[in-house]
Amino acid sequence: MEIIITALKNSALLTGQLLLIILPLTISYEFIKHRQADLAKKRFRFLGISANGLIPLITGVIIGLTYGAGIIIHSIRSSNMDKKEAFLILLFLSICHAIIEDTLIFVVIGANGLIIVAARFLLAFVFTYVVGRWLFIKKPP
Amino acid sequence: MVNIKKGLANGLSITFVMVKVIVPCYIAIELIKHFGIIGVISEFFKPFMRFFGLPGEAALAIIAGYTINLYAAIAVLSPLNLSSKDITIVALILGISHSLSVETPVTQQTGANGWVLLILRIALSLFAGAGLNLIWKLL
Repeated sequence: MEIIITALKNSALLTGQLLLIILPLTISYEFIKHRQADLAKKRFRFLGISANGLIPLITGVIIGLTYGAGIIIHSIRSSNMDKKEAFLILLFLSICHAIIEDTLIFVVIGANGLIIVAARFLLAFVFTYVVGRWLFIKKPP
Repeated sequence: MVNIKKGLANGLSITFVMVKVIVPCYIAIELIKHFGIIGVISEFFKPFMRFFGLPGEAALAIIAGYTINLYAAIAVLSPLNLSSKDITIVALILGISHSLSVETPVTQQTGANGWVLLILRIALSLFAGAGLNLIWKLL
């Protein structure tokens, strides 16, 4: 019985800490969401990802795949980009998404946030670049 | 004002989902710790976890993160009292690859090949964890 009470107390504490992180984030998401349309106007291309792909990319990196799903699915489908580009975006996002929330909740229990963020961005860039290169060499556009 | 309200509502609903996962996981881990079952599980996973420089019981957090979500992983990880280095390695592994049951269908909805991404994510996360462990040792 004592164990369960301790567990309840500790999990309440953990939840409280996570709440302090999550509430400011969800509030800022709402503000960011409305600014995304501006980004679509910029023209650029990197790692085989075009400006169209920027909205799902940034949404995913900041908000994450679960809560950003709606925006990501909608913007990829509605911009009729090719499958290669969609794959590259999802590959980048698979490695590097929800970068703020995922990192902070581990920092709460003692992780080194800087290492996690740096490693994920590095891996995402390297893998997207390599896979993009390889895909585009196989089937020249 | 509307933004703040909506964000607050979203945050609270996420928290509610979180609590439903955290509390049972926390109790489960405290219980298996209490009855000594964690030692058995830890021994079993020890050989695999060596690649990541992690103690055997960290496997429980990784499994919880892969299959359920990160909040479950944290609820498992928190009572284990691991070192900051261990938690960082688990966090990197789980950051790349987590909530696979929810996120794989999302990636498939976009038209990209979800299965390839799923395998890539798991492989990459383990590779990254092992790599970070190696780098940590060298430094």
